[in-house]
Amino acid sequence: MRLPPGVRDWLPQEFAFKREIEEKIREVFRSWSYSEILTPTFESTEALQQGLGERLMQQTFRFNDPLGQSLALRTEMTTPIARVVSARLRHTSLPLRLSYVAPAFRYEEPQLGRMREFTQAGAELIGAAGSGADSEALFMAIETLDAVGLSDARFDINDAAIVDGALSAAGLAGDELTVCKELISDRNLVALRAFARTRGGEALETVLRLTMTRGRDDVLELVRPICRTPESQAALAGLESILARAQTLGYADRINIDFALLRDLQYYTGFVFEGYIDDLGFSLCGGGRYDGLLPRFGYDVPAVGWMVGVERILLALERRRADERPRNEVDVLVGGADAAAKAERAKGLRVRVDTRDLDRDGLLAYARHKAIPRVLVGKPDGSVEEVRVELDEEARS
Amino acid sequence: MPKGSLYPETVRRLAAAGIVVPENPGRRLVVPSLDGSADLLLLRATDVPAYVEFGAADCGIVGKDTLWESDRSVAELADLGFGGCRLVVAGRRADGYQDGARYPTFLRVATKFARSAQTYFSERDLPCEIVALHGSVELAPIVGLADVIVDLVATGSTLEAHDMVEIDQIGVSTARFVVNQVRFRAKYDAITSLLRRLENA
Repeated sequence: MRLPPGVRDWLPQEFAFKREIEEKIREVFRSWSYSEILTPTFESTEALQQGLGERLMQQTFRFNDPLGQSLALRTEMTTPIARVVSARLRHTSLPLRLSYVAPAFRYEEPQLGRMREFTQAGAELIGAAGSGADSEALFMAIETLDAVGLSDARFDINDAAIVDGALSAAGLAGDELTVCKELISDRNLVALRAFARTRGGEALETVLRLTMTRGRDDVLELVRPICRTPESQAALAGLESILARAQTLGYADRINIDFALLRDLQYYTGFVFEGYIDDLGFSLCGGGRYDGLLPRFGYDVPAVGWMVGVERILLALERRRADERPRNEVDVLVGGADAAAKAERAKGLRVRVDTRDLDRDGLLAYARHKAIPRVLVGKPDGSVEEVRVELDEEARS
Repeated sequence: MPKGSLYPETVRRLAAAGIVVPENPGRRLVVPSLDGSADLLLLRATDVPAYVEFGAADCGIVGKDTLWESDRSVAELADLGFGGCRLVVAGRRADGYQDGARYPTFLRVATKFARSAQTYFSERDLPCEIVALHGSVELAPIVGLADVIVDLVATGSTLEAHDMVEIDQIGVSTARFVVNQVRFRAKYDAITSLLRRLENA
């Protein structure tokens, strides 16, 4: 039997590694006082449609129940969480801090770092506006990648309002503005230049420069003169404040401003960020402010959130620890001594109980083979003999 | 770097930008540049977008026609201007499509550019069947495998030699400098510097 494309099995050792990483991520979420939440794997297509842009809807697995109702597998967790919050947590005091670690599903061409079933871990801070909330999302993401052992990860930040300001100063609106933003987001300089040539004007030259500008405080000074709208000025002040807070945490060297970073245009309304490491060609985590989402579910509150692809983290880590040996899975082997085995389990140890009626020599041979350091052997008189197994380096692997 | 028709000019441009490819790389697939500042991957042109999208290469040089066909997400930073050719729809002169004769209700299109061809005919609401070929596409209409072809033309002499004419132009292709979206950030200084040198080369 073959698996369909884009899904995979997790064999014990791989799965243990995945769980370990997920626990480290959860620990960071807990340390920021987020509560974990879970929504159904599938729900009505209509409910998901309210939150998702066209692109994600095209990637949604859909099916009908026997009554003909259209159902869909979730493609991400933020939309279901927005639905739950607006329907069931509306009277809870704000802000709300919710986290999740859950599989999501997208119909796309399976490739490195992109599967049809994948695990997302993320956090949503709902009912909080302003750069304080934005920096919480960013700093949590940094701490999460640090916690899983990717402390060389770097982060690029931006606020879509800056590009919006520059584009409206260039006289763009409606479809033209959308197309232009997409080109900026793709960093398609060739098409942007062609567009600037047909439209003319100095303001578009500024947009072209923005697309290629990336740096720290110095680039803020560069764009200050073109930020003339109140929104873009507020965005600039927000980025400044985030950088200042990052400085006190020692993160300043790892954060850059990239004005072309826009992420999903239909979704994010302000601050956005992405985290990446140099050796992978795609980002590990990302997020931003999505003040427009909850209002679509009839609850008019702002929100900021971020997520990390668990499998992408595993991919990054696996490449680096390729030579690490698998660890042993059993602390103690017990034969013919059920009560002793129960007592060992109660101590929190990983206990393997012999089911093949092995004698003393058989138990010791098995323990050596499986690199189990202790063996408890039940004697006919009811006593239990404890044997320490000498493991040579080779057996440990 | 794309092997094939773009290769000689790519080598020349890179050299002008300070990255000198050693002569006779032989069968090696990874070649360090003479000054050691870059590792060069010699790839099939059609593989360049995938290498760049996944970050197996930081950046690459590839024809726009290959980008159309690949649908890979890469940053297109510069039009290098060389390797110019046009993607066109062409048919047998005798069929008269160039003079406005109507296409059959279900058109068969032979091409090496299945994606671009499909997009072109879909956008015009023309139902069609794409016959994906890997070479000598001009042969298809002659032997009745297809009604028209979608192919690249540089001078048009190949079409003429087979008594075929251009019906419509889909797009103009030139060589592009493309970059992985994450490496653009990770190696910002090196990549923007190479971009400047390539543009002035």
